[in-house]
Amino acid sequence: MLQVTNLKKVFKSGGAPVAAVDNVTFTVADGKFASIIGKSGSGKSTLLGLLGALDQPTAGEIKVGDKDITKLRDHKLIRYRCEKIGFIFQNYNLVPNLTALENVMLPLEFASMPKKKRTERAKELLGQVGLEEDQQKRRPGKLSGGQQQRVAIARALANKPQLILADEPTGNLDSQTGKMIFDLLHSLSRTENTTILVVTHDLDIAGKTDMTFQLTDGKLKKKPGSR
Amino acid sequence: MLVARQAVQDKITTVKSSIGNTIAVSPAGARGFEGGGEALTSAQMNTVNSITNVTGVTQTLSDRLTSTDTNLQSAITAGSLGARAQNNSGVGFAAPPEGGTIRSDASSTSAFTQITRTFTPPVTITGANDVSSASIYGGDSVTFTSGQAIDVSKDENIAAIGKGLAEKNNLSVGSTFTAYGQTVTVVGVYDTGNTFANNGVIMPLAAVQRLSSQVGQITSATVTVNSVDNIDGVVTAIKAALGATADVVSNQTSAKTAVEPLESVKTISTYSLLGALGAGAIIILLTMMMIVRERRREIGVMKAIGSSNAKTMLQFVSEAVTLTLLGLFVGIFIGIFAAQPITKMLVNNSSSSATTQVQGRPGGFARSGSTTSTALRSVKNVQASVGATTIAEGVGIAFLIAIIGSAAPAYVISKIRPAEVMRAD
Repeated sequence: MLQVTNLKKVFKSGGAPVAAVDNVTFTVADGKFASIIGKSGSGKSTLLGLLGALDQPTAGEIKVGDKDITKLRDHKLIRYRCEKIGFIFQNYNLVPNLTALENVMLPLEFASMPKKKRTERAKELLGQVGLEEDQQKRRPGKLSGGQQQRVAIARALANKPQLILADEPTGNLDSQTGKMIFDLLHSLSRTENTTILVVTHDLDIAGKTDMTFQLTDGKLKKKPGSR
Repeated sequence: MLVARQAVQDKITTVKSSIGNTIAVSPAGARGFEGGGEALTSAQMNTVNSITNVTGVTQTLSDRLTSTDTNLQSAITAGSLGARAQNNSGVGFAAPPEGGTIRSDASSTSAFTQITRTFTPPVTITGANDVSSASIYGGDSVTFTSGQAIDVSKDENIAAIGKGLAEKNNLSVGSTFTAYGQTVTVVGVYDTGNTFANNGVIMPLAAVQRLSSQVGQITSATVTVNSVDNIDGVVTAIKAALGATADVVSNQTSAKTAVEPLESVKTISTYSLLGALGAGAIIILLTMMMIVRERRREIGVMKAIGSSNAKTMLQFVSEAVTLTLLGLFVGIFIGIFAAQPITKMLVNNSSSSATTQVQGRPGGFARSGSTTSTALRSVKNVQASVGATTIAEGVGIAFLIAIIGSAAPAYVISKIRPAEVMRAD
């Protein structure tokens, strides 16, 4: 379960404090697929960074399972990011000089998994997201946008994380491919019992998630009608 | 430059070792059996032995056995060179043979009588307190064809004799001969491969001193110093200790002259190497900074998916090491072909002035055939090769360049926050 309580992140802009995330409180149960919608500059990416332990909040609490990640420091924080969180980015952010297979093996290597096991696991995941064996040996530059995002999803799933954070995962894809990716994420949240939180502009996609939050000027509201 | 420096360093070591770490001490005014002066004493040599950095003093007392001193027949025939010495006085001239010519010149009105004397090359006897060095036997190397070396600690009438002398006089181990009116037993027969040296007799120093009535006296000493670099200091100390009674000669000056050009090449190579090291480090630094800047997002992503600072930095440092090792291999490849001509050019340029200085000295010391002149002649003959030591040093330098060059980029990497990369998305 993801439980966020009174989360706040204040930046200084021209000497004046600006709350990018302002007293945000919400809960997403295990295996649920949630979405956050909001305009540019509303604080979506900042919120995602805080949830992914990429940044420290000014105040508040983020509990993943029973662990408050805002209290974690240094190597515990790195370990948390490695083992409990999976990231999916709009621009895929794959390492360009590694093959698709090697990209998926990367977080497994950071988790100190033996090479043979991580190769097996990466192949299994890439198969799961529908990447053929010959495509697995290609570098990201030789893959289409949809294929690259599939590799990114496989990479996010590598260490069987409790929480997947996706920042505009369909933003750079055509609508058909975007729908395929969304369906893939949706089915994964079911089969892997992974909590998925997606930041999106696409209201159609947001409408299909289990719950949707609207972020406006750092303040979060649960969208009426969402489950 | 690394190869040139290594080649020159090897040459310096070779020149220094070929010139040796010994100092010759002889009575003032004497050289071998030439000149004059007063003998030195073993007591004086004990003083020399106590000088700092002196590791040993080999004392010798040499004498020439005339036919009146010994029953030994010289193994060397006079020949034309010996005949030339007929006009000289001194030892080695025997009385005319029985029935020989004491010729009166009847055509002369004067009462001139010419005595025809027969020259016999003398047998040299040497007393020594240490016979471990082949130079005591007069050669570059020595082997015993029978018997063994004398025990120098005993004041006994025992001797090792040269192979030529033994054959001429039908002597073998256990045979005896007379010297200074006493019987001496042969304990060993040696071969130096040198005809003159194989005509000698080696005995314990004390025995020769006693037999020749020169107790406590020596005619030469060889002082061994712990390092070639300390020779100058020891020479000064010996001169201070013995004053005007001794001539002290070392090859240190010659060694210095011989290695001076090499030392300057070594200095040039060292500074060039340091310059290359600095330039290499700066190039790697700038290259790595550029790479880190270009791959800032990748670094952020790696951190976001669980890579630690140390792991991320290690990846970039290993990339820098790979880059420098590639440079090293290219450098070694070029070095194999370019090292020899570059080293040769540097050595030739530096040593030509030194050679001119040596040749310009009146009565220059670089006599043909001497160790020093050989060393001087060989100074230019520097062989540059890429050996295991050079490669090992090259690898070490490559690692140093990589580490220095990637230190700043590594710091930049450690400061990249994954959240910043997300915001830049």
